[in-house]
Amino acid sequence: MPETVEKLNHTGFGEYGLLPAPRTYRLRFCKTGGMQWISHLDLQRSFARILARADLPLWFTEGFNPHPKIVFALPLPVGCQSLCELVDIRLVRDMPCDEVLRRMHGATASNLDFDRCYVPASKFIDIRAAEWEVRIDGRFVPGGTEDYLRRAEALLTGPSLTVVKRTKSGDRETDIIPLIKSVRCAAEGSEAVLRLCLAAGQAENLSPELVVSVLRDRLGIPEEDREYTVMRLRMLDGEMKEFL
Amino acid sequence: MFSASLLRSVSRPGRYAGGEFGQTVKDKSRTGASFAFCFPDAYEIGMSNLGVRILYGVLNKDPDICCERVFAPWTDMEDRMREKGILLCAHESGDEVRTFDFLGFTLQYEMCYTNVLNVLELSGIPLLAADRVDDPSFPIVIGGGPCCYNPEPVADFFDLFNIGEGEEMLPEIVRLWAEMKRRGATKREFLLEAARTIQGVYVPSLYDVEYNGDGTVRSYTPNAPGVPARVLKRIVTDLDTAYYPDRVVMPYIECEQDRIMLEVYRGCPRGCRFCQAGMTNRPVREKTPQTLVCQARTLYDNTGYEEISLTSLSISDYSGLRELTDGLLEWTEEKKVSLSLPSLRIDSFSEELMKKVASVRSSSITFAPEAGTQRLRDVINKNVTEEDLMRSAGIAFAGGKEKVKLYFMDGLPTETLEDIEGIAKLAKATVERFYETPGHPKRAPLVTVSVSCFVPKPDTPFQWEPQDTREMLQQKAEYLRTKITDRKIRYTYHDSGVSRIEAVLALGDRKLSRALLEARRRGFRYDAWDEFFSYDAWMEVFSEAGIDPSFYANRRRSRDEVLPWDVIDCGVTKEFLWRERERAYAGRTTKPCLETCNACGADCLGGERTLCPKLSKS
Repeated sequence: MPETVEKLNHTGFGEYGLLPAPRTYRLRFCKTGGMQWISHLDLQRSFARILARADLPLWFTEGFNPHPKIVFALPLPVGCQSLCELVDIRLVRDMPCDEVLRRMHGATASNLDFDRCYVPASKFIDIRAAEWEVRIDGRFVPGGTEDYLRRAEALLTGPSLTVVKRTKSGDRETDIIPLIKSVRCAAEGSEAVLRLCLAAGQAENLSPELVVSVLRDRLGIPEEDREYTVMRLRMLDGEMKEFL
Repeated sequence: MFSASLLRSVSRPGRYAGGEFGQTVKDKSRTGASFAFCFPDAYEIGMSNLGVRILYGVLNKDPDICCERVFAPWTDMEDRMREKGILLCAHESGDEVRTFDFLGFTLQYEMCYTNVLNVLELSGIPLLAADRVDDPSFPIVIGGGPCCYNPEPVADFFDLFNIGEGEEMLPEIVRLWAEMKRRGATKREFLLEAARTIQGVYVPSLYDVEYNGDGTVRSYTPNAPGVPARVLKRIVTDLDTAYYPDRVVMPYIECEQDRIMLEVYRGCPRGCRFCQAGMTNRPVREKTPQTLVCQARTLYDNTGYEEISLTSLSISDYSGLRELTDGLLEWTEEKKVSLSLPSLRIDSFSEELMKKVASVRSSSITFAPEAGTQRLRDVINKNVTEEDLMRSAGIAFAGGKEKVKLYFMDGLPTETLEDIEGIAKLAKATVERFYETPGHPKRAPLVTVSVSCFVPKPDTPFQWEPQDTREMLQQKAEYLRTKITDRKIRYTYHDSGVSRIEAVLALGDRKLSRALLEARRRGFRYDAWDEFFSYDAWMEVFSEAGIDPSFYANRRRSRDEVLPWDVIDCGVTKEFLWRERERAYAGRTTKPCLETCNACGADCLGGERTLCPKLSKS
């Protein structure tokens, strides 16, 4: 199927009144398929161009090097997909949310799908956790999917699980059990599916990649065959309600 | 397509992700011909190339042609592919490269040749054209780009070359195959038909090469009727109406040229005697400012790039420069889009130009005097003076810049140690100029002197010249180091080993395919990258293949020698080039085309809005 650039219709901004102060709009998008290999840093860099293509009445910082204000909720590790990415942008005109969304659609490929736009009532700093789905190809699971999931659940809900966490200041031993809020395991066909609720945000954060590597180390998925997918499903606030 | 497990195990997996905004995805089975377009280097280099952007667009504009991108996998990916027996795939569909009708390589620099062979091997395609031509299951391998002005060192690996500009020629070639394929024609029949009927097509297998006892070329003879004795390069006559892409495939990962590239005009009217692009892109053809402003705006709307680079060889020679910059500034300021220039000529650099292209973020500016003394600058016909440089540097310093980069070459014909010392003197004078400039920045100045080694190139007045030996180049580099004592001058020097191999590959003949095959056998790849290049390893390759590198790099050719690239006609005549060579040795400069016609011969190609005095008169 041919994928073509939708020619943007330059309406100008005249019909949208100037706001007394710039307004923050929040966009939700899915980052799936090939986009999982694009790092957070590269996405950040590309985002200003996406907004320029979308032809939005952007607010620019007033410094020596003016740039649009773009704030992402939570970085997504390379190799992880997401159905719930959030990003805040600022506009100077009163453009309806569905118009912003329409323009974003025209400016992006299908693997970066914007599905919501609204004026937010929350702050990213209130994000406490994220819900993840890890799917492991059963063919690579030693001892069968059901047995594997039982062992995985026992490991991730045990009294403690010490792992080496790589940080900027060097490797550090950490007990990750307090960072695991909940674990649900189920077999779906030949796939082992783990639903993990992990601490996320500025205060404490646990990467699903680290959990997967622990499973690999302790339960023996061979290093060679890293056929699994990781999907961020939802972000949660301090009351474990969906963060929007 | 690469699996997740493969992508998790390599560096920068974004290189292979695909799915970029602006790409064209077609169903290959529903088009008449498919074309895998390869830039034989890493994704982030290939995505930066203007030629790829243009030709990818022009091929896909045809509903009957499907064009996809191919890049060389990085070495970690290559290792995994070989380990697991995975073949190279095209970027858009993930289909194996060998399933396409064509595999096209753009040859932008000689040091990519080892990657070309590696890409063929990784695609499961036999390296030698002779081993493929009668097997319909393999793609037709074609080459284009600046290196094709001497395609002979890689001639044995290609079925066909595009000589000159591809916007019209390449779709013609692909359409011809689509049509002949429907009729059940063989590849041999197609190659012959293309060579006979499409101007700019060079099919190496249709020419027999004879050599003299001393290894020089005796003759090129077409071995089929109707094939031209010399292949005249193809141009697009009118750049205003020629295809120009209205969009760019937008890379997510950082690329070398991550900006809009606006080609203002093609060619250069100056005639620097070392410069191949200046000779092979004649006649100089301009676009109108109106067209350019319009193209820039469309490209901005479709890309969102924050920078527009005005890419042409010497932008200040463009006749509509003021109209262009004014037209662009009408909307770029509001959109916070900046203008940039890849290079500046120091004789026409002005305060006005600097203000307009204020690449605000950059505190540095680059000039290319190329040689250290006026005598040598006259020899190479650079036509700039020390005064020009001082005036330009002064404007830059007064305008708030404190860093100046100066590009030079060493090893130029007739060069003496005095010329080398001249480089140091010029750098010192630039530092002094900084302190003499009222209103210079408070920070200390930094003058970077970047010296590369002269490589004689085909189709230039210096095509007969020997390159300095590596020892001579190293001595000159060392001598210059002792002459630079000021700590405000930084000296960087290009490896002379790379330049020597480049000279061999640029000036070579078909015998070099032996060496390239040997290089492939030894696993050479990414020779354009310092971390993979090894001069000593190349010397072993040459010795194993029975090739004497000095025969190609360090030998003075006589006027009547048949040169391997004489089979290619770039429009500029050999007589003109020899005249220019004689003037170089006499220390006489030649005026740019704008001022006087020097009878280079390129007017035979025609062209609209050209700076060629012969063509603009008629």
